[in-house]
Amino acid sequence: MKLSKRGLNTAAYVVFIALILAAPLVFDVFWLNRLSKYLVFGMLGAAIALSWGYAGVLNLGQGLFFGLGAYAIAMSLKLASATSLAQGSDTPIPDFMLWNAEPGAPTELCCITQGSFLWIPFQHTWFGILMGIVLPVVVALALGLIMFRKRISGVFISIITLAVVLLVRLLIVQAQPLTNGFNGLTDLGYLTVLGLEFDPYMPQTYYLIAISLALVLIGTRMLVETRSGLILQAIRDDDRRARFLGFDVPRYQAFFFCVSAAISGYAGMLYVMASEFASPTFMDLSFSITMVVWAAVGGRNSVLGACIGALLINMIEATVSETPALMEAWRVVIGLAFVFAVLFLPRGLAGLAMSLRDWLVARSAAEPRSLAEPAPAEERS
Amino acid sequence: MIDTIFIGLSLGSVLLLVALGLAITYGAMGVINMAHGEMVMIGAYTAVLTSLYLGFGLIAAMPVAFLVTALLGLAIEKLVVRRLYGRLLDTLLATWGVAILIQQAVRLSFGLAFFGITVAGLGPGLQNVSLPEWLGGTFSLAGSQISVYRSFIILVSVALAALTWGLMYRTSFGMQLRAIMRNPQMAAACGIDTARINALAFAYGSGLAGVAGVLMAGFKTVFPDMGTPMVVDGFLVVVMGGVGSLIGSILSSAILGQINGLTAAVSNDIIARAIVFAVVIAVIIWRPKGLFSYKGR
Amino acid sequence: MPSTLIGADPASAALTLDGLTVDFAGFRAVDTVSTVIESGELRVLLGANGAGKTTLMDLVSGKTRPTTGRVFLGDIEITGLEEHRIAQAGLGRKFQIPSVFRDLSVRRNLEVASCRNPGVFANLRLGFSLAQTRRVEEILAVVGLESKQEVEAGSLSHGETQWLELGMLMAQDPKVILLDEPTAGMTEAETMKTAAIIKAMRGRHTIVVVEHDMAFVREIASRITVMHLGRILAEGPIAEIETNPDVRAAYLGSKGIQ
Repeated sequence: MKLSKRGLNTAAYVVFIALILAAPLVFDVFWLNRLSKYLVFGMLGAAIALSWGYAGVLNLGQGLFFGLGAYAIAMSLKLASATSLAQGSDTPIPDFMLWNAEPGAPTELCCITQGSFLWIPFQHTWFGILMGIVLPVVVALALGLIMFRKRISGVFISIITLAVVLLVRLLIVQAQPLTNGFNGLTDLGYLTVLGLEFDPYMPQTYYLIAISLALVLIGTRMLVETRSGLILQAIRDDDRRARFLGFDVPRYQAFFFCVSAAISGYAGMLYVMASEFASPTFMDLSFSITMVVWAAVGGRNSVLGACIGALLINMIEATVSETPALMEAWRVVIGLAFVFAVLFLPRGLAGLAMSLRDWLVARSAAEPRSLAEPAPAEERS
Repeated sequence: MIDTIFIGLSLGSVLLLVALGLAITYGAMGVINMAHGEMVMIGAYTAVLTSLYLGFGLIAAMPVAFLVTALLGLAIEKLVVRRLYGRLLDTLLATWGVAILIQQAVRLSFGLAFFGITVAGLGPGLQNVSLPEWLGGTFSLAGSQISVYRSFIILVSVALAALTWGLMYRTSFGMQLRAIMRNPQMAAACGIDTARINALAFAYGSGLAGVAGVLMAGFKTVFPDMGTPMVVDGFLVVVMGGVGSLIGSILSSAILGQINGLTAAVSNDIIARAIVFAVVIAVIIWRPKGLFSYKGR
Repeated sequence: MPSTLIGADPASAALTLDGLTVDFAGFRAVDTVSTVIESGELRVLLGANGAGKTTLMDLVSGKTRPTTGRVFLGDIEITGLEEHRIAQAGLGRKFQIPSVFRDLSVRRNLEVASCRNPGVFANLRLGFSLAQTRRVEEILAVVGLESKQEVEAGSLSHGETQWLELGMLMAQDPKVILLDEPTAGMTEAETMKTAAIIKAMRGRHTIVVVEHDMAFVREIASRITVMHLGRILAEGPIAEIETNPDVRAAYLGSKGIQ
């Protein structure tokens, strides 16, 4: 059989998606819940690959978008939880607001603490879901347009994004009466959409996340195949050349920055559904850098590779974390893996897979062409 | 008021010691060393261990910490960083891996924890170093109570900054290093052994961070993760000051230290840090080259 | 149209510079340069190092903003616009140090350049039109890179990279093309091939070339503008320039044109 690069690429996607959709046949609910969190991390890996590999923008604050998405839906789910409904008020009130409230403050969202009115629209779950995408995109658009218009690039983008995520994290911690500070939002209700309840330990939640990941992977892959995706890669290689060809470079960069943010925000929402909490640790520096580690190990230039990198690392981590001593050793392994991946495998696992793919294609091309098979159309990958 | 300014100055001083090393390595080699914060941490642990086992005071710990972290820096340069010159963002990621390794080394007592051996002064817990009596108190200046230790920090930092300045502008090593900062290819073409100079600069910068760690151990708890915020702050200082500009780093650490100290005095540490971040973001967006960058071509 | 330029025929002027000046902290790198380049013309810009040729290209293409003076592309004023707006108005530029998309294949480079629509949303579609594909193939043939079309542009030789960049300009299809030393660092054979490519571009585009290689200039030029210390020293057909005493004195020294 004749093999083509594109054929093998597609096959990799098909196999991966089939595997994640078939997982409920093998795993119990406990592991399925864990796996669904790792699929969310895989989605983050894909978002990193899009901005780092394809746009050349190394965002060290991807956790900002993840966190904004997570907090947006967690606010809705917090208001929908039993703990918020049973506070002796007509409208739900988060329990921590009551614990922190000044004596004699009215038990209404409008005015229990300063700024608590911001929670009011989140009583509608749809608003929370909408904000989970809109907030990250708006922030990314503003940040992106400012940075890219000023032609800030490379490490300066990394430093700015890093400073922004740490700044927002501090603000969330500081706004303790409004956000429950370090403790984050816990005791959340289940998401109920169109009468369907998403219990994190039920297969429908897993399927929602798995299908979401499949769609994100396919969508991202298609997006980078479009002309705009091609122009984006051209800008990554030489933004000046692209500018003198007539492309509005900041717009392209900002657009894909927003797409990456939207994916991360969506991932944040799904993570909250699977884990039932939102926390400022989502915006820790180490989490944002860890995402980049996943993508680097999996392959920064490959959407699927970065996703698989995230999945693999987290699954191994989950396996070894059963024993606490191993857990500490695992961190050593992660540190080493990272150094070695950067030093010796700059294209990550996906780079290995691509070499294998090219070898297979070359080998099949070298075979004598059988008469029965029509010659394949010329392939460009 | 004077005491607040002193707090700001001492914060800025520690920041400066951390940032000076980064300014040199980043400016000269285009390397973002995320393990630089771990040099601070190792310096602090050197203070803990030398006082625990050798009965050293803080001052005696300083040269030891300088040596230990300089050697560690040299090893990192030879093993990892050297292979990544010209790949700026990759150095950032690889040294992050190195940082994790160093943290784990301390947390696991260099692997002894696997054999059930615990070493006093290492491990995941918190450590403290007690100040000698003569550094502990306060003295009054123009009606304000000033901490002796904070004044000591400022003195040490000024001395080391002066030493660094002398090294950069009064020695042949410094001249070669400055040549590499401006144009590495040209410097190499002129016969400068860039590999050797880079390695030495990396070691020196790491050593300064180690001394900063000893100073920090005197007023903060010591723990394995303490370096991460330090490297972030150090980088913000370097980028805000202008890459490759020593004077920029000095001034921006002073500015950020004062902002931090003054805001913390009127509100709290969280707000102070948030304002520092906001200022740095604004400066980088306004002038991506930093406040005091020299004009390149 | 600027009225100061007597003798210019507005209908056929492709690029008009009117008193173009740039002042870098007291140093006038380009000083009141005015000229009209006719549609379809191939104009060579000559001058010693530091005469202001590259700076003039920077001013026209939007890389640097002029202190005073105006630039017209056809009858549209493009003075001080952003680079991509000037490019959209119909101006292409090749840099002295060749600049291509190194990690994309040769073919992809040309395809990117042939995306007529500059917007990000307009380009959210897969594939290229038949006409575009055909044009890309034509260009591959003209620049002689058909056999290398799947190769990453970063692995091309210096000469091939220059030709690819010329091909990208053809794919971009602007009215006016600025070429900054397209034969710099080339062997004689490569130079002749470059001359052939530029000749093939002629007619379809108005071209302004900065060049030092006199053999190459004789090969391609119709009119020459000589710059000296930021100003235009002489302008005319090649034979006239070669005998111009001012040019001999200022630019060529006593040796004359070799």
